[in-house]
Amino acid sequence: MITITNLSKSFGSKQILKNINICFERGTVYGIVGENGAGKTTLFRCIAGLENYDGQITSELNPLKNHLGLLFTEPFFFTKITGKEYIRLLCNARKKEVPDIDNKNIFDLPLNQYASTYSTGMKKKLTMTAILLQDNQCFILDEPFNGVDIHSNMIIVEIIRKLKDMGKTVIVSSHIFSTLSDTCNEIFLLSNGEIVRKAAREDFAALELEMKKFTVDNKIEKLKAILFT
Amino acid sequence: MKNYFKLQFVMANRKLLSFGIHPAIGYFLLLLLYVLLSELLFYKKTFAPYIYIIIALFFIPKLSDMRRNDFLKINFGGRYLKVRILENLIVVLPFAVFLICKQQILPTFLLIAIAISMTFLNFKTDYSITIPTPFGKKPFEFTAGFRNTFILFMIAYALAVIAIAVNNFNLGVFSLMLIFFTIVCYYLKPENEYFVWSYSFTPAKFLIEKIKTAYLYSLYLCMPALMLLSIFYFEHIDILLLFALSGYLYLTVFILIKYAAYPREMDLVQGIIICVTLVFPPALIAVIPLFVSQSVNRLKVFLK
Repeated sequence: MITITNLSKSFGSKQILKNINICFERGTVYGIVGENGAGKTTLFRCIAGLENYDGQITSELNPLKNHLGLLFTEPFFFTKITGKEYIRLLCNARKKEVPDIDNKNIFDLPLNQYASTYSTGMKKKLTMTAILLQDNQCFILDEPFNGVDIHSNMIIVEIIRKLKDMGKTVIVSSHIFSTLSDTCNEIFLLSNGEIVRKAAREDFAALELEMKKFTVDNKIEKLKAILFT
Repeated sequence: MKNYFKLQFVMANRKLLSFGIHPAIGYFLLLLLYVLLSELLFYKKTFAPYIYIIIALFFIPKLSDMRRNDFLKINFGGRYLKVRILENLIVVLPFAVFLICKQQILPTFLLIAIAISMTFLNFKTDYSITIPTPFGKKPFEFTAGFRNTFILFMIAYALAVIAIAVNNFNLGVFSLMLIFFTIVCYYLKPENEYFVWSYSFTPAKFLIEKIKTAYLYSLYLCMPALMLLSIFYFEHIDILLLFALSGYLYLTVFILIKYAAYPREMDLVQGIIICVTLVFPPALIAVIPLFVSQSVNRLKVFLK
């Protein structure tokens, strides 16, 4: 379980996260939605301990970072290491021996090629494979479906479901609402650094409608004003 | 186009500032270093102008990267060639000026002509052929580093063989130094924080692991030259071992410095400290504990 209490984060005078209070339980999948710049990635970086913050993040896993699989929106890759070496690097970091990596290549990636030559989707799949092999208890997946082909999207959805069944905590952010409604138990709407709405499964449709109305309707009016006047 | 070059200048200034150097001082120091090294080259070598041309042209392929060129073509359209020619000329300009000062008119023209003609080339810097390495078990410094620099090792081993063939012990020592210098370069650039954060180690354990891996893999790389030289210069084995030991010592220092500055790159003060230790090696006795403590403190942020 991860408990976030009164979490706030500022960069200079700009406040990115404002008084966030969330509790992430085991065996549950949580979705975080919000516009670009709403603070999702900063929230994830705070949970991972990559940022200093005000407030408290506690967990029974001590330290949490050693049990956390983190998939960034744009994973970083060294220029000349192969997919297999990348997996080995991340597993070594968690003291995990992975003897037969080729047989654990769930996304059929060309593991002997340089990972930096992979497409965005392949890079995501590679990082996903690595953090799964690390055998983490919690997962933060920042935009795991972005740039990934339809078949792999289905595999990722299945992986998330499996992780939930295994009692892991999964936190996912996505701009594709359907992928979240397929997998999540709860969805939080983050807007301007604040959790403005929390929806359980039965409220997902209403939440999607609200978001569509607020974001799309607003933008269409703006777009009309810019393009057609 | 003017804005593009202005932006390049701003980026260069930012790069210097990130090293903790004021741009004006940075440019002055670079100019000074450049003049000194050029003078040294022309003082020592007969074929200096031609070596000079090769050095100058060495900087151009980076600007001719295929993806970079595509980006410029998309954004500058018809003015693309003008931009690229100007870029290449700016890079070789200091070299051309120095050659003119040395009254080397023909090499100057040659340099400018090659620089302009290289505008039409596209260099693919990201090859997909995977170069095998013996370092796959513990990535990443040596796996990535070796693939980028394996030619230097070929040169170093060749120099060791030549040193034996022409009976020049100093050349042999130089080949050993080249190997260690190349390895040290693997630790100059800080890695993305994700690759430190991922470790479930304490800072001390993390540093020990990094140093252990560096020692083991350096041994793989320096062993061929060291063995060869030890066999043929057995009477100087003490000197060879001293150089190898110094190599390991400086390798340790560079690993420590990297993490003492982490996640930033080494700053000016740390650079000066390194220079002091190169001139006065006993200073390492004080420097190593200092950098150990600094790097442990820096790593605590990422390895709680």
